[in-house]
Amino acid sequence: MEVDYSGDVMTLNMGPQHPSTHGVLRLELKTDGEIVADAIPHIGYLHRCFEKLAENIDYPGIIPFTDRMDYCAAMNMELGYVLAVEKLMGIQINNRVRCIRIIMAELNRIASHLIAAGTYGNDIGSFTPFLWCFRDRETILDLFEETCGARLLYNYNWIGGLMYDVKPGFEKKVIDFIDYFEPQVGNLNKLLSDNYIFVKRTAAVGILSPEVAINYGVTGPNLRGSGVKFDVRKDEPYLGYEEFDFDVPVGKGDYGPVGSCWDRYIVRIREVKESCKIIRQAVAKLTPGDVHESIPKRVKPPVGEVYMRTEAPRGELGYYIVSEGGVKPHRLKVKSPCFTVMSAFREVSRGSMIADVIAILGSFDIVLGEIDR
Amino acid sequence: MLNYFRDIGLGIVTVLKSMGVAWRHLFTPSVTLQYPTQKWTMPERSRSKLFNKIEDCIGCGQCARVCPTNCITIQTEKRGKEEPEIFASDGTAIKLRTYVYDIDMTLCCYCALCTFGCPTHCLFMTGEYEYAVYDKVCHIYPFATEKQMISKTPKQQPAEKA
Repeated sequence: MEVDYSGDVMTLNMGPQHPSTHGVLRLELKTDGEIVADAIPHIGYLHRCFEKLAENIDYPGIIPFTDRMDYCAAMNMELGYVLAVEKLMGIQINNRVRCIRIIMAELNRIASHLIAAGTYGNDIGSFTPFLWCFRDRETILDLFEETCGARLLYNYNWIGGLMYDVKPGFEKKVIDFIDYFEPQVGNLNKLLSDNYIFVKRTAAVGILSPEVAINYGVTGPNLRGSGVKFDVRKDEPYLGYEEFDFDVPVGKGDYGPVGSCWDRYIVRIREVKESCKIIRQAVAKLTPGDVHESIPKRVKPPVGEVYMRTEAPRGELGYYIVSEGGVKPHRLKVKSPCFTVMSAFREVSRGSMIADVIAILGSFDIVLGEIDR
Repeated sequence: MLNYFRDIGLGIVTVLKSMGVAWRHLFTPSVTLQYPTQKWTMPERSRSKLFNKIEDCIGCGQCARVCPTNCITIQTEKRGKEEPEIFASDGTAIKLRTYVYDIDMTLCCYCALCTFGCPTHCLFMTGEYEYAVYDKVCHIYPFATEKQMISKTPKQQPAEKA
């Protein structure tokens, strides 16, 4: 967008300690009055050397570190890594492991989208949905804690299997939660999504056109919010997602142009419902089996390289692993979805108002742990 | 002009709708737990503070090897032949004397990889989560007993080359 501004340009630093940057992110805003002429994101405050560190740890030991990338959806983070190593080693997993992995990944997707919706409402100025989302997320975390003992950083998906089998009665608890949760989505819509003040605040703000989104490599709900129907679970299925019946919701531009903040927000809410559908089917497909069956005694992949991409809640997550036949990877590269979104952020926020920068940033739902790694 | 009033009207109507949802919530039971006075029961698989039952530890060092953050320090030496044979509770002969077994809980990432490698299952994670201290040195937990440390035979220092 070309901005026609005149007068003095003021530099305004937003962050690194700012409640709405969802972590430690510094935005260097060049403002002309109320209009943002340029927003330059400065990242790296949360850099923890994940990729270099991974070269010095054996394969199973990397899994706890992948959890710490996107701490809102740790199950999906480790799932991508584990699938990559399994692909490299040629391990086949049984049906029980596959179904439990899908249930866990989708439950964590719901939890992650609940955070996204809740904190977005909080950024815009509506505090009630935040607490409501966290209440429902708590139930999911309790399910995880009961299964693997941890609430956020699980280390649950292992190479070739799972840490523990689920407890007896887990299926019933999951179905009970879904039964309880699906009407709650309607309540959340009444509370926030259809609230006209919220709609007015977000609908015509931060338009990310499909062309720009594709050019920048934006994936996940942010891309689908722009009306592009792309989901790795559908287009390049892994873990047998092709057997499941679910839709890929896209932004339709119900209020204002397609690709606005509201579209990106509502795609997440609709995706939560699709996840509920997948979980129901996965619970029905659950068969008895041993979850430790195909765990290798020693993880020593053959020489080679592999790229595995999965659909994390924030977009396409890719792991590129180069193995030289040792117990440690020679190189590990992560393609993180939030990092690509961050580069598109500059394009989107150019020419908007200062107050809208918060709305745009919140709608992208970034997690800094994953951007900086 | 018409749009202006329509916006106001829609704003009021949708806010009333959401207020309805919120008001209905007044009559549902509270989900908040008053933490220091009330406490939740931790599940049995709960992963918090590490604990080593040192009597069963055979000093194999599997836990230290698998730890991704190297938070376990373990030093062992061979037990003398004249000493009586001792066994772990599952019958494994203890051939090494563990005279240092320290766990630095500030480094621990609570992944529980060490507990799965343990052959005698003497290392496990407890559900204890309230162990904040004022000094981080206090988070280094030594598990080797005094007896194990005292009976340690002094090692001969290798002679320095001139």
